[in-house]
Amino acid sequence: MASAGTDDIATSSCGNSLDGKLCLQLESNSDCIDVLRSMVTVMTARAAMSDLRSNRVAIAVDELFANIAAHAYGGDPGMVEFETAIYNENEDQMLIFDFRDYAQVRWHGDIDKITSQPLDVEHLCPGGLGLRLIHSVADCCEHNVLKNGNHWRLIFNIGDGENDECSA
Amino acid sequence: MNVALKFERNELSSNEVQLKVVGDVTIHTSSRLREQLKPLFTVKIKRIQVVLDQVDFMDSSGIATLVEGMQWSRMTGGHFVLSGLSDNVRDVFSLAKLDTVFEIEDSPAA
Repeated sequence: MASAGTDDIATSSCGNSLDGKLCLQLESNSDCIDVLRSMVTVMTARAAMSDLRSNRVAIAVDELFANIAAHAYGGDPGMVEFETAIYNENEDQMLIFDFRDYAQVRWHGDIDKITSQPLDVEHLCPGGLGLRLIHSVADCCEHNVLKNGNHWRLIFNIGDGENDECSA
Repeated sequence: MNVALKFERNELSSNEVQLKVVGDVTIHTSSRLREQLKPLFTVKIKRIQVVLDQVDFMDSSGIATLVEGMQWSRMTGGHFVLSGLSDNVRDVFSLAKLDTVFEIEDSPAA
């Protein structure tokens, strides 16, 4: 998990994208989650992921979008650019999702630190589960603070990196 | 993908209610689940069963709503049970490490 200050992003900078990149620009309304789910379904089918893994990918994408909508934009409409593709890097294939927001709130948290804290099951409070779910299902979650927003990248290994039976 | 959330409420006995949920529970729909659940937590109702066998997708907002339900049931001295979880929904509870916190039945009572 990474976070760094950057002027802007080049979303296709890692490896070689195969044909079929999907891009979308949308407002951070909660009903747009359903649009993202459709794109996740397409990409996980292309990646030949199992239903269980596809659901896990959908959860991570859903949670990240919800976090941007609720926390970066504070529930107000804001632009989110979304891009997904399957990349080749050496012998490995990865399914990658990029999110770019233009929120004034730049997130400076530490995902590893937040998610490494034990869950207090005796004093559960609603909320706060989203990052835990993202952390437990994505092979990598990167965050870059930009001058005018945030960039998030979710990476899911395909093939050898996929382990449906892994316990989070 | 079933983006509309629907509910069916059944009175199993004078103090037992079953709430069947149909559709995906997401940040877009979980407020409706909360609206349906909250009025059930009264002193009179001792057991609330939430049937999730027709829920294929649930995110953390749905889980958070059910956490609230569990807490409401503790406050009213009731019994809060989830039943019929699909593999995907059960997996999300497991990922969130909440599969042992809730009382979960394999299938809803007749």
